[in-house]
Amino acid sequence: MKIVVAIKQVPDRDAPVRIAAGGKWIDESDVQWAMNEPDAYALEEALQLKEKHSGEVIVVSAGPERVGSTIREALAKGADRAIHIVCDDLAGRDALAVARLLAAAIKPENPDLVLTGLQSEDLGLGQTGVIIAELLGMPHATLILHVEKSGNEIKVKRELEEGWFQSIEMPMPSVLTIQSGGNKLRYATLMGIKRAKTKELRAVNAAELGVDVAPVLALEQIAVPKKQKSTQILPGSAKEAAAALVEKLKTEARVL
Amino acid sequence: MIAFLPTLAEPQHFSVWEKLLFGALAAASAYGFWRPFGPILNKILQSKKDPEFHLFPIGRRVRDFVWEVMCQAKVIRERPLAGVAHALVFWAFCAFALVTLNHAAAIFGVGFLDPAGRVGRFYFYFAAVFAAACAVGIFGLFVRRFVVRPKWLGGQLSWGSGLVALLIFVLMVTYLAEFFVSGAGDAARALWWAHTLALLAFLPVIPHTKHLHLVLSPFTIFLSRGGFGRIPPLAGDEDFGLVAGTDLTRLVSLQAYSCVECGRCMEHCPANNTGKLLNPKEVVLGLRGYLNEFGPRSKEPLLGKYNAQEAAFQCTTCGACEFQCPVGIEHVPIIVGLRRGAVNTGAWEDDYGAKLFLALERGSNALGMSASERDKFIEKNSLPYFDGMQEYCLWLGCMGAYDPGGREIVLALVRVMRFLGASFGVLRKERCTGDPVRRLGNDLVFQQLAEANLETLAQNKVKKIVSICPHCVRTIQEDWKAYGTPPEVEHHSEFLARFSDRLPRTQAREKIVFHDPCYLGRYRGVYEEPRRVAELAGELVEAPRSHERSFCCGAGGGLVFLGEEKGERVSHARTAELVATGAGIVGAACPFCNTMFQDALAARGDGAPKLMDIAQLLARGLPE
Repeated sequence: MKIVVAIKQVPDRDAPVRIAAGGKWIDESDVQWAMNEPDAYALEEALQLKEKHSGEVIVVSAGPERVGSTIREALAKGADRAIHIVCDDLAGRDALAVARLLAAAIKPENPDLVLTGLQSEDLGLGQTGVIIAELLGMPHATLILHVEKSGNEIKVKRELEEGWFQSIEMPMPSVLTIQSGGNKLRYATLMGIKRAKTKELRAVNAAELGVDVAPVLALEQIAVPKKQKSTQILPGSAKEAAAALVEKLKTEARVL
Repeated sequence: MIAFLPTLAEPQHFSVWEKLLFGALAAASAYGFWRPFGPILNKILQSKKDPEFHLFPIGRRVRDFVWEVMCQAKVIRERPLAGVAHALVFWAFCAFALVTLNHAAAIFGVGFLDPAGRVGRFYFYFAAVFAAACAVGIFGLFVRRFVVRPKWLGGQLSWGSGLVALLIFVLMVTYLAEFFVSGAGDAARALWWAHTLALLAFLPVIPHTKHLHLVLSPFTIFLSRGGFGRIPPLAGDEDFGLVAGTDLTRLVSLQAYSCVECGRCMEHCPANNTGKLLNPKEVVLGLRGYLNEFGPRSKEPLLGKYNAQEAAFQCTTCGACEFQCPVGIEHVPIIVGLRRGAVNTGAWEDDYGAKLFLALERGSNALGMSASERDKFIEKNSLPYFDGMQEYCLWLGCMGAYDPGGREIVLALVRVMRFLGASFGVLRKERCTGDPVRRLGNDLVFQQLAEANLETLAQNKVKKIVSICPHCVRTIQEDWKAYGTPPEVEHHSEFLARFSDRLPRTQAREKIVFHDPCYLGRYRGVYEEPRRVAELAGELVEAPRSHERSFCCGAGGGLVFLGEEKGERVSHARTAELVATGAGIVGAACPFCNTMFQDALAARGDGAPKLMDIAQLLARGLPE
């Protein structure tokens, strides 16, 4: 079983978010980088499938040189080899351009499965995986928590809203976008890091892949969300207030 | 006066047959010793060399040797009665070395101590005093092992020990009896031969029994790594800790064969005392069993037939075992080494452990919280940021920055520091010191954390750190050394004790029982400073186990993050002991002890004593 996992490097959860001059992207100068969490789950799913059915896990990631650290982390956790699509201006590209780069790198591998996180933690567009499927001419399923292989088919567990799940049978090859939390992630080990040094890491650029990366969408402006706090006092007796509160928790906050 | 006392009787002449018989028996005895001992020595020498082992500076080694071997200090201190009995036997052996040499030389007519001469007479009497003491001592030990039978010595009676006790007893008695017979008669000859046979029978018994410690433990103590609980560096790209036989170093193998099975380690082990699988003695004997079966060149995993992974991960690294061990075994590096082997290769699968490692791979703290929570805490309490101008960098640590209880300790310390007019600031960015991952054996994450923190401290030009957490203090000062030069660091008890004369003494003399945190006491040797501070706030009482014998709270070694423990909770056992002192306040000096006791005291319900850090005890007495 040959599985390609597309991974994105995103600002770490604890990284300070400051808007860069021009207002089109964040100031990256003081940012630590990490593997996009849904992609980490995609990698985990791929590694578990490989451990069960044997095969190969190939990691592909697009971005500047710093992406190397995330690629090495993926190799350390058990991926067999990696392709680094070197491009410095990832933030300026739209999902279509990024998906074109990834699809062009994935295509010659002829994988049985392509896995990626359902969305990125920085932009959160949730489109890249789906567009890759379209570009590769493969069927796809999104929000996948679990993959089971039987023969030439796979059965996937898909998360719906309000605690519902959907079970789908799919042919291979196909593209799946993985939801966080379906598996338990493994921790990186010293041995993994040392072994990763000897694994193949191939670097390619857009020109070599022969991809048209002209954006069709442009990011106009980004802003930090404004914090808003509003207090509402519910009138009436305790009983009435409680009833009103329950109603609001149901209809407005939708937590009940 | 000495001239009037009886003289040691030694046969004057030995026949050729006797000489030949003696020669043959001595050779057989030496062969009987070497046959099992040679392979043991081989296994030790075939083990991997210890990385970064230095014989020098040798002063510390000589000091340890004199104190622990010659003076038998550790043997006596923990178990005075049995310890003194042992010391008498040991000292007698030392005194006897010359006597025995002379004894063997005498048969060939080259004895160098003349029983009638001044020097000989004096020395034989000198040895006789020890012989008498030794006979009493060994008899006492015999009674202890076979009649009293403390559980530390194991359920099975060791007949080897009985035989050795008998042989030693015979050696001493036959020697003493030689003073009361005539040198010319058959009695002297019979005694000489009885003494000789006991001696020659003793030698081959040594390598088969725990009496191997006679030969090995002086070397074990002299060659020990030194430094308490020190975790050795990994050497090269293929060293992941203690994975297989090939990872056992000479020191570890030497220690494994030195164990005398006295059980002091298990007597003090918090895991062993609360129904866990871990028994530090069995860990060491497990390595010995492994070496005997597989040897130091085997690829067979160490965690398998002889040692259980579960046991290795039940250790709180409190170090009570290592502190007590009279033969120089360094348990903490061994247990952490086994954990390193399991974690660095990914063999350890534990949901809690993986969660902790992932939290520290990506995030800043062991509690898995967002770093912004720390920022909020700092801003809300207007803690000044460190700007290079202040004297102290106040290291918050994960507990101080994120845990509600830890935060209160920090705020109490801040109040006292402000009262004293000490200038301090906190860092804008801090990551876990790596203590839990270090003790759990995750070298990868530990290195990342140590390097990131060292860089932050260097950028901020930090010279002096003060911290409320003994784990942070230890890790910064000792463990970070592998990756750079950490700044000076002290625990807040040391800081506060320095200013104790400027701090107010409360009038109410409530009883306070102070719990020595392992990482402050045994690891750092700080016992008096926190007491001096606590004394300002009340009347100190001591728990039955205190100072270097303090009983762990159960949090150390990363265990606080590993979820529910098997058997009785260590924290409950310790809390019961602290409550039994009748003190109204439990004084703590570590945020981890604090959180463990908080839960344990809450479980006891109403009427439980209050729990306070020494900083909180002091802050209480400050003017508003």
